Amino acid sequence: MSHVLRTEGLNKRFGGIVVCDDVNLTIAGGEILGLIGPNGAGKTSLFNLISGVLRPDSGTIRLNGKAVNGEPLYRRARLGVARTWQHMLLFRSMTVMENMLVAPRHYPGESILRVTVGRAGVRSAERTARERAHAILDRMALDGTADMPVTDLPFGQQKLIGLARALMNDGPLLLLDEPMAGVEGAAYETMQRVVRQEAESGRAICVVEHNVSFIRDLCSRAVFMINGRILQDGPVEELISSTTLTELYFGA
Amino acid sequence: MEYLGTIGILIAIYIILAASYNLVIGYGGLATVAHPIFFAIGAYVSGLLAIHTTLPPPVSVLVGSGCAMLASLLLAASALRVSGDYLLIASLGFQLGLLQLIKNLAFTGGPGGLGGIPATIVGPSRTPVYLAIAVVLAIATVFAIRALVRGPYGRAITAMRDEELAFSALGRNAMSMKLVIFAIGCGIAGIAGGIYTFYFQYISPDQFEVLQSAAILTMVVLGGMGTAFGPVVGAVLLLAIPQAITFLQLPPSIMAPMQGIIFTLLVLVFLFLRPAGILGDTGRRRRSAGLT
Ligand SMILES: Nc1ncnc2c1ncn2[C@@H]1O[C@H](COP(=O)(O)OP(=O)(O)OP(=O)(O)O)[C@@H](O)[C@H]1O
Ligand SMILES: [Mg+2]
Repeated sequence: MSHVLRTEGLNKRFGGIVVCDDVNLTIAGGEILGLIGPNGAGKTSLFNLISGVLRPDSGTIRLNGKAVNGEPLYRRARLGVARTWQHMLLFRSMTVMENMLVAPRHYPGESILRVTVGRAGVRSAERTARERAHAILDRMALDGTADMPVTDLPFGQQKLIGLARALMNDGPLLLLDEPMAGVEGAAYETMQRVVRQEAESGRAICVVEHNVSFIRDLCSRAVFMINGRILQDGPVEELISSTTLTELYFGA
Repeated sequence: MEYLGTIGILIAIYIILAASYNLVIGYGGLATVAHPIFFAIGAYVSGLLAIHTTLPPPVSVLVGSGCAMLASLLLAASALRVSGDYLLIASLGFQLGLLQLIKNLAFTGGPGGLGGIPATIVGPSRTPVYLAIAVVLAIATVFAIRALVRGPYGRAITAMRDEELAFSALGRNAMSMKLVIFAIGCGIAGIAGGIYTFYFQYISPDQFEVLQSAAILTMVVLGGMGTAFGPVVGAVLLLAIPQAITFLQLPPSIMAPMQGIIFTLLVLVFLFLRPAGILGDTGRRRRSAGLT
């Protein structure tokens, strides 16, 4: 089976804190992997290593078999690593649509050369991006908010916009950092439905979540992480019913 | 008339300086105090070319601007590699160091300044022609920057300023955008330097001191940082009001403190009434700061 993501012997420490300790992780296309563990376990750090925010001390990160260690953050996104953020990091002075439009893998509008002499290409890329953005927002029942300042939306909808913006990247890997934190009601249902649809379309997805029922509903496989180490990797039910893990999660 | 023309040329030059500084600091969010030194590079390079070569003046000005651009790339590429905050310190060092160099070199005229720059245009039409050129260039600068910060490029700049990490993680090359913005802004300052040189035919190091960046920054902030026409309003107000006061024909003993007081009052009053600048959109700024 070919894996979209494979990490081999990944290590990272900040001074004395080990945030990633010999992590070997694989995710296949179409799979939703749950990543659980107590606060400070290193879940966000692992996302940062995979997406290129952080450099590992050692180890390899492969995307569709190809090592991407040397690629900077922005190039990994172009290679197809899409992610959301625990704290959303939306562009707060912009509208929902503007947030969406800067997010495609390829955005000729960031090149001064293209915006001055390659106008036609920029314009056609804009048109495509706008259609894609409308389609994504539509799927989340958020198309009506397109021209609203993103900070005018309620929290749950802002979380959805965070996902929507990441989905502008049509790459093979999607990393979701606590998508459900603070989300309830209709937004909760939408989040669940969209994540499931994305997996069905063939994306490899990894979800960090403290909401165990969300993980149980979406994932068949999950990994449990603590102190930068993967303690267990297996079927969700097994992880959740493990008393040792439950103690580690709530204790300490 | 001649005198008014000269004031007009100065105002146009400062509009170009303020608008380009605004691009770098207001839109690009790049904290630098080295803008006067790029103004100086443009001025000195085009002045030296005018003295020692037979290049047509527009070419000299463009070469001066190109040198300013190159120097700015050198500064930004090395400083931004460390961090955005480091640029402020590095730009200060660059500004002070290079100006010191200019003061100590023989071929730049040293502390006494560079004179003997040939008068390209002679006769009674000299000032009106320069005024026309300066005004056209000022208008072109303001509108070119406005066009740049409006479209897809401007959207990217805004996103980068809002949340650089998320911006980069979407596939945007923030470093290259910053370098380009910095180089364009500093290259434009170089053009302003070229016009200055050719009109005044004399330049000296003290016109490009680091305090100049405070003056230009005041224009930008007063008019409205991050707005297309704010720098125009700021430059006109800050240069025209002291001149207008001179027309009152007061004795110099009253005039000098008067100018200082009125200037300071003006800045205080406007910043109090309109913290985002005269043309700044207060509502949007608040929102972007997360205050509402
Ligand atoms: N850039 C950094 N420099 C130093 N220490 C860091 C850095 N980033 C994270 N850490 C530390 O690494 C540890 C793991 O943090 P991380 O954010 O990865 O945990 P997490 O599993 O995502 O936790 P949470 O569930 O609270 O989000 C924490 O102790 C954190 O303080
Ligand atoms: Mg986290």
